[in-house]
Amino acid sequence: MKKQKNALGSPFKRGFAAVLGNERYQSITVPVFAILLSLLAAAVVLLIMGKNPLTAFASFLQGSGILPKPNYAAKKSMVTDLFSMLNMLTPMIFASLAVAVALKAGLFNIGVSGQMLVSGFAASVLVGYSDLPMGIALPLVLIIGIVGGAAVGALIGWLKHRFNINEVVSSIMLNYIFSYTVSFFINTRFIDPVSRQSRSISSAARLTLTNVELGAIKLDLPLGMLLAIPMAFFVKFLLDKTRVGYEMKVVGLNRRAAEYAGINVGRNIVLSMAISGALAGLAGITFYMGYYNSIQPRVLASLGFDSIAVCLLGNSNPIGILFSSLLITVISKGSNYLSSTANVPQEIAQLITGLILLFSACGTYIRYRVSATKDELRDLKKRAEGIKDEGGDRV
Amino acid sequence: MNYIIIEGLAFALPLFIIAIGGIYSERSGVTNLALEGFQGFGAFAGAAVVMAITGGSVAGAEVKMFFAALLFAMLGGALFAMIHALLCVPFKANQVISGVVINILSTALTVFLTSQINTALFGKPTNKFVLSVCRKFTVPVISEIPVLGAFFTDVYYYQPVIIAVALYASYLLYKSRFGLRLRACGDNPHAVDAAGGNVSKTRFIAVVISGALSGLGGMCFAYSISASFSPGIYAGYGFLSIAALIFGNWKIGPTLGACLLFGFARSGGYKLVQELGLSSAYSDLMMTLPYLLTLLLLMFFSSSNRAPRALGEIYDKGKR
Repeated sequence: MKKQKNALGSPFKRGFAAVLGNERYQSITVPVFAILLSLLAAAVVLLIMGKNPLTAFASFLQGSGILPKPNYAAKKSMVTDLFSMLNMLTPMIFASLAVAVALKAGLFNIGVSGQMLVSGFAASVLVGYSDLPMGIALPLVLIIGIVGGAAVGALIGWLKHRFNINEVVSSIMLNYIFSYTVSFFINTRFIDPVSRQSRSISSAARLTLTNVELGAIKLDLPLGMLLAIPMAFFVKFLLDKTRVGYEMKVVGLNRRAAEYAGINVGRNIVLSMAISGALAGLAGITFYMGYYNSIQPRVLASLGFDSIAVCLLGNSNPIGILFSSLLITVISKGSNYLSSTANVPQEIAQLITGLILLFSACGTYIRYRVSATKDELRDLKKRAEGIKDEGGDRV
Repeated sequence: MNYIIIEGLAFALPLFIIAIGGIYSERSGVTNLALEGFQGFGAFAGAAVVMAITGGSVAGAEVKMFFAALLFAMLGGALFAMIHALLCVPFKANQVISGVVINILSTALTVFLTSQINTALFGKPTNKFVLSVCRKFTVPVISEIPVLGAFFTDVYYYQPVIIAVALYASYLLYKSRFGLRLRACGDNPHAVDAAGGNVSKTRFIAVVISGALSGLGGMCFAYSISASFSPGIYAGYGFLSIAALIFGNWKIGPTLGACLLFGFARSGGYKLVQELGLSSAYSDLMMTLPYLLTLLLLMFFSSSNRAPRALGEIYDKGKR
């Protein structure tokens, strides 16, 4: 057998087991390993296209304000780009948290886009087109966003509990129903004839302060960010330290066990979907009334679907999600700059994101390979020691 | 009335073949949310091969190219489905997650490749392959019969293909040894294992078949709806067929009923907008009909639904 070449296994395998072997850190090391693999794959694609992968990756960082660009337009700087990236990051964090909460309760919220649309549209119509001053408008937008999203989420949970309708199916159906209905209302009442989108909301109701002058530079201030990061910690606290979170997790792990333990399963399903929907609602208002200021009819935000993957990449851990959404946002934000400087089509960003997700979906397999390699190495080591003890006369 | 039947069938049949793909995969125990991605990639593969063969202009060889497209769409769908099969069966990934990831990857990959191929062929990075319009035929005498005749009027060329494939697929699933084993894998994989079957292999093949069938369906949608391949193909047909197969209780016959219902609800809605002389914005409202109908019907029928018992479970020999 080939294995006899080296009594302790090949150095590659030993390195593999040593880096990824520690189960305590696997929740971090395995996703990082998956990301590295996918960046490697992306580098191969870029090389085939005849581009330098290192410059390409650097321009992702330049485009999102983490590395400086060679030159800037008047009143723009690295900080401008950074804040513009944060502006896009905000809804991504909320949306991924929404997926994470549902996932903990064993539910798969694929309807984040639809919930985002409902709350974004409701808040646009009720507050965005009014003349309310900022002090009243912004809290109202927040409340409408949360309530709208939570109502849709709760509906999905109720359909699941009451009628045994798979939440994936019902939320997909609702996604389309909302998308077409909102499109109908936009086209008949709120259309801007020039842009073919809904009319822009008043700047007093917008959650992003645009073109703020700070010293010599102009930037967009995403107010939602002030809520997004604390929200991640709050969700973590809710899931790990409270009774509500505990019950939700038990329902997610084993519905029958939860029932026997006296936990109200139906209530928990509805509740977790409502919380998830509320978070999706926050994503909706920060997306449609922050990052953008209008709604494009008949289009569901792809962010809602990407968030599923971002959540998985972050191990559905709220703190992990902060990092994974940062990574994915940097890639998609930086792709604008990449396509303008290196003449690489912008679609490469989606492709890289797809690859990252593909490899991170293999997380279980990577873990399985790691433990198999570890076992193999242990066997080899034992055998090597055995050979030493018995004077080396074993085959 | 004729309009409703003709357009309804043209929509329902591609949906049906995708749903059969889903049934194959799910009856073998592999949850398949990736149908949307499969049908899109299949349509891309078919269209791309046609573009490559003809160099961009299909004029003169429409029918030949049409059948080539269907064939390569099935091949492309099957190849792409191998990713899902690989992730779900040997790699033991979460099947729902894998499905979602594959949909994202499919959109990204096809959009990227389309613009690359278009740049190479025409020097223009557009995201669209223009195909020919699918030909139609009318069966002479039978089409004269009132109402029923509409089923034989203006039939797209792909419709008989789908019916033939669907018949063979249901024979394979319900009457053959392979089909029996496949269904057993979804209900009791341990029994299959004990009887000497290979669960992993059967499931792998089932997912690949589902990719081929979805690819066929996607290609038909590309031909019938826009006569082109563009990212517009990702309009949720895959998800709609998942709803159809759940509504059809994972059985081919009732699933056909569900697909026809969707098709007729859709064409009926359009017709209604036309008849009432409403503006085109109202067609958006009518578009919600199939989805609303599904939700309502699911409310009544979901509790009696029985999914394959081992659906979504990763097969583990050691577990009992």
